[in-house]
Amino acid sequence: MATHKFDVAVVGTGPGGYVAAIRCAQLGLSVATVEDDRPGGVCLNWGCIPTKALLRNAEVVSLMGHAADYGIRLSGFEASYPEAVQRSRRVADRMAKGVEFLFRKNKITLFPGRGTLKAKNVVEVKGTGGAETLEARAVILATGSEPKSLPGVTIDEKTVISSNGAVRNEHAPRSIAIVGAGAVGVEFADVFASYGVQVTLLEALPRVVPVEDEEVSKELARTFTRRGITIKTGVKVASVKPGGPGAVVDLGGEQLEVEQVLMAVGRAAKVVGLGLEGLGVQLERGFVKVSPAMETSVNGLYAIGDMAGAPLLAHKAMAEGVVAAEAIAGKSPRPVDYGNVPSCTYCRPQIASIGSTEARAREAGREVSVGRFPFTANGKAVAMGETEGFVKVLADRETGEILGVHIIGPEATEIIHEFAVGRTLEATLEEIIHTIHAHPTLSEAALEATLSALGQAIHI
Amino acid sequence: MAVTKVVMPKLSDAMESGKIIKWLKKEGDRINGGDILAEVETDKADVEMEAFGAGVLRKILVPAGETAPIGALIGVIAEPGDDIAAVVASAPATPAGAASAAAPASRPPAATPSAPVAPVARPAAVVSAPAAPTSLGQGTQSGRVKASPLAKKIAAQTGVDLRLIQGSGPGGRIIRRDVEAAESGAAASAMPATARPAAVSGAEFEDVPLTQIRAAIARRMPLSKAPVPHFYVTSEVAMDRAWELREQLNALEGQPKISVNDLVIRACALALLRHPGVNASLQGDAIRVYHRAHIGIAVALDAGLITPVLRDCHAKPLAQIAVEARDLVERARNRKLRAQELSGATFSISNLGMFDVAEFSAIINPPEGAILAVGSVRRVPVVDDAGLGVGRRMMLTISCDHRVMDGAMGARFLQDVKRLLEEPLRLLV
Repeated sequence: MATHKFDVAVVGTGPGGYVAAIRCAQLGLSVATVEDDRPGGVCLNWGCIPTKALLRNAEVVSLMGHAADYGIRLSGFEASYPEAVQRSRRVADRMAKGVEFLFRKNKITLFPGRGTLKAKNVVEVKGTGGAETLEARAVILATGSEPKSLPGVTIDEKTVISSNGAVRNEHAPRSIAIVGAGAVGVEFADVFASYGVQVTLLEALPRVVPVEDEEVSKELARTFTRRGITIKTGVKVASVKPGGPGAVVDLGGEQLEVEQVLMAVGRAAKVVGLGLEGLGVQLERGFVKVSPAMETSVNGLYAIGDMAGAPLLAHKAMAEGVVAAEAIAGKSPRPVDYGNVPSCTYCRPQIASIGSTEARAREAGREVSVGRFPFTANGKAVAMGETEGFVKVLADRETGEILGVHIIGPEATEIIHEFAVGRTLEATLEEIIHTIHAHPTLSEAALEATLSALGQAIHI
Repeated sequence: MAVTKVVMPKLSDAMESGKIIKWLKKEGDRINGGDILAEVETDKADVEMEAFGAGVLRKILVPAGETAPIGALIGVIAEPGDDIAAVVASAPATPAGAASAAAPASRPPAATPSAPVAPVARPAAVVSAPAAPTSLGQGTQSGRVKASPLAKKIAAQTGVDLRLIQGSGPGGRIIRRDVEAAESGAAASAMPATARPAAVSGAEFEDVPLTQIRAAIARRMPLSKAPVPHFYVTSEVAMDRAWELREQLNALEGQPKISVNDLVIRACALALLRHPGVNASLQGDAIRVYHRAHIGIAVALDAGLITPVLRDCHAKPLAQIAVEARDLVERARNRKLRAQELSGATFSISNLGMFDVAEFSAIINPPEGAILAVGSVRRVPVVDDAGLGVGRRMMLTISCDHRVMDGAMGARFLQDVKRLLEEPLRLLV
């Protein structure tokens, strides 16, 4: 069994791991990466990227359906779901190749196989070609997370699927029950509904996208309902059993017969089988406990991304990867600002938010001024024919501090960043309103919502 | 064309601006590199400013008595025929001038790197009224201080003076948490400088403008006392033998006079080598342990306290420490210290023995990890095997940064200092 020495070994090459590896290499460290799947992790292969490809298909299909609104008459069209999935696979494949290219460019060695810690600085890699040992000055764990289920509900990826199964689904089912109306649940609801699947969205909490601002939840529920998606909130799934066209979902009184069930109830950190127990690495609520420099309770052992705790977002993992790499290289990196991580959901209309919701800001005792601006009053949105949604800006009444921003509407996930930059710079409402926004753009809605918080909106 | 811009130099670590005490050259004088151009009062001391380029001092932009931030253009050296209009135009207008002149529309590219856009604030101007300034007023007033918009608004509302705060953001930018920390924790010590408008008529007090040193102390001490968790360890030292030794040494002809403080410096230097954990400093997520003892000696001036640094004390015999310490203190009093003598201490000693002080505790000067406060050598009744007698005793109190060290470390260090002073021949070997 060969032993290889490196400055840093990175276990897992998702968005956290590959970014950490590249940043380490940039800082002059020799880097080994360990991956038991394609480089890029869940994000590139089974998560963010392929679902975005499917959502784009959903958008195109839906646009075709509205072709007549633009004066385009189609004599019928066929939307092939299998081909949508094939396209998403090609997209994922291309992105994974991109990571492989970046590894080569940065002289990062990839060890295919499963990594296990034998000591705090020794990783054993078990691959198809046997076992190898990596010895490193520092080890970064970035093994990510996997879909959770509910007690008593087994995910077989055939009838009861997770997001992993959903992106591989070669055929769209006729009907599906989606358990959990968080980001994953509502994105797949959008995809399936666009392809004519009968979708029932189930949520235990009283509203869809429950972590978002309440007004955003209401707006999404309204547009989803209009598109024929059945939403049941405040319901508990008692059991999922085989039956009917595929499965019977028992909601405690009501029975739901569907072809497939998608479990989208959250994700759990992958911390088992890594050898953490033997080293005494401390966990906290199932996640690895880390310092602001991303170091675990064991000196020289770092953890980043989903396994290191909420929010479970690729861009948070990337930011943590940079911090860990710089800490290992002896720099003193600025810690990740967890209060300023944008959260994005790519269903139609898109949802993006940063900072506090209105309810949380008020609970925190802030005097809040609220600004709102609907896309119906935005020229670009009207021209595009995408007028659903609004921008909502929450600010401290006294100082104009931007406490939170909630956007639902076209390209919401692109618009959010001016507020992310603003909050990093500690800009207040005034700096936003004195920034000239190009016309016509969707971002003008951001400006107008900010003006509205000061009672000065022009276009409404 | 050789146009040399004369800018306010950074003469010490903490320096943010300097005041021109006087120009030693006048416009039209020929300058050679290395000539002393002016005397500058920094937050720590008065320092002479050397010329870098050669030529004729064509223009003085900041007259004596005015303050300029570091990097600000304060003069221009050029040959008589050179056109200096563009360089001069790139400078901010006179300090009292409007901030609108600070950013000329078209500035020659060559002039940008060092020319600050910040206007110079008048030293006595202090933000005090809780009323929020208008947005335009904010812009002009804010020029000198690097602070986020939110920090400025909170400061304006709470009356915190941004000039007294050290920023923790990128490049020292003052951000919200700095203002909030200053407001909650250190407000009390920063406040004396802040003039609150009197509610009733009649002058009940006067506001003395801060000297540069006072302003630096006011800015830095809250940053030490509030975020640095201090703990204190006090020990009494029998100084009879040290006193006797000192008298013998001082009776020697041709030898430098030794003070009690010199003995303490020497004892500390030796003890620091043995207790490197005390000769240490918190650096983010690491503790930097120094292998050399650079000791800051606190010197009280009328304008405030400064701490010149005696380097490599561990490697210097007592006589050399005595000579160099005396020289440092004297030059500190005459404000003739060189810039490099004001920074780099790894430990400090503050001695108030001359004021008949039994004991006191001092505030750590970050990033140092500890400071020793030295009281007077007093004659006190002591009980020993022979019964009641009179002895010389001195109280030492060490203030330690608890993030860097624990009580036992401070105590062991102090024990060693005490032993060295009680067996003072050890100071000579």
